Amino acid sequence: MSNKLAIIASNGGLFDAYKVFNIATAAAATDTEVAIFFTFEGLNLIHKEAYGQLSMPVGKERLEQGFKAANVPSIPELVSMAQEMGVKIIACQMTMDVMNLKKEDFIDGIEVGGAVTFLDFAQDANVTLTF
Amino acid sequence: MISDKVLDATGLACPMPIVKTKKSIDELSSGQVLEVHATDKGAQNDLTAWAKKTGHEILDSKEEEGIYKFWIRKA
Repeated sequence: MSNKLAIIASNGGLFDAYKVFNIATAAAATDTEVAIFFTFEGLNLIHKEAYGQLSMPVGKERLEQGFKAANVPSIPELVSMAQEMGVKIIACQMTMDVMNLKKEDFIDGIEVGGAVTFLDFAQDANVTLTF
Repeated sequence: MISDKVLDATGLACPMPIVKTKKSIDELSSGQVLEVHATDKGAQNDLTAWAKKTGHEILDSKEEEGIYKFWIRKA
C-alpha cells in the first residue's frame, strides 16, 4: 500500500490552517509522504504576510485564550516543521494569476503548479483530504 | 526501565508530541529505547497508532501524576 497523503486546502482562516497543518505534520511524522495543494482562499495559509495573522471565525475570537492555554504552536511554526519534514507545498497557479500574486509573495520552498501537478501526486495517494 | 534518551514533551499540544517523538527516534539507532513524557491526553492513543504505523515498539507505558510515560524501542 502506498503511504501518501494528498490534501487540498481551499479555505483561509486560522481554524482551516490548523486543520491542514496539524494533519500534515502528524502524517509526515508518521513516515507518510504529504503534498498540499493550496487554492483560492487556501493561499492565505502560505502567504508571507497573511499566514502569521490569520483570523478566527467571527464570534470565536474568545478562543484565542484557549489556544494560548493549550500551548498550540503558531501557524508559521507548524509550517516550518512541515517543510522540515518534507511536506510538499503546491500553490495553485491559476488562483495566483486571478489574485495577481507572485511566487515571491509566498513563503520559501513552495512549488507553483496547476491542478494536474497535484493530481499526479494524488493519483496514488491512499488518503485524500479536503479542507 | 532503562532508556537511551528521554524526550520531555510535557505541556505540548497535538501534534507536537508526535513530531518531537519522530525527531528524537531519528537520532537513535535500531534497538535503542526512547522514553517520552507527555501531558497531552491524546498522546496515549496517538503514540500507540504512531508506533503501529512506523513499526517501532512500545515496550511499556504508564501514567504518573498526570504525566504519560512511554518507552519505545526503535525498529
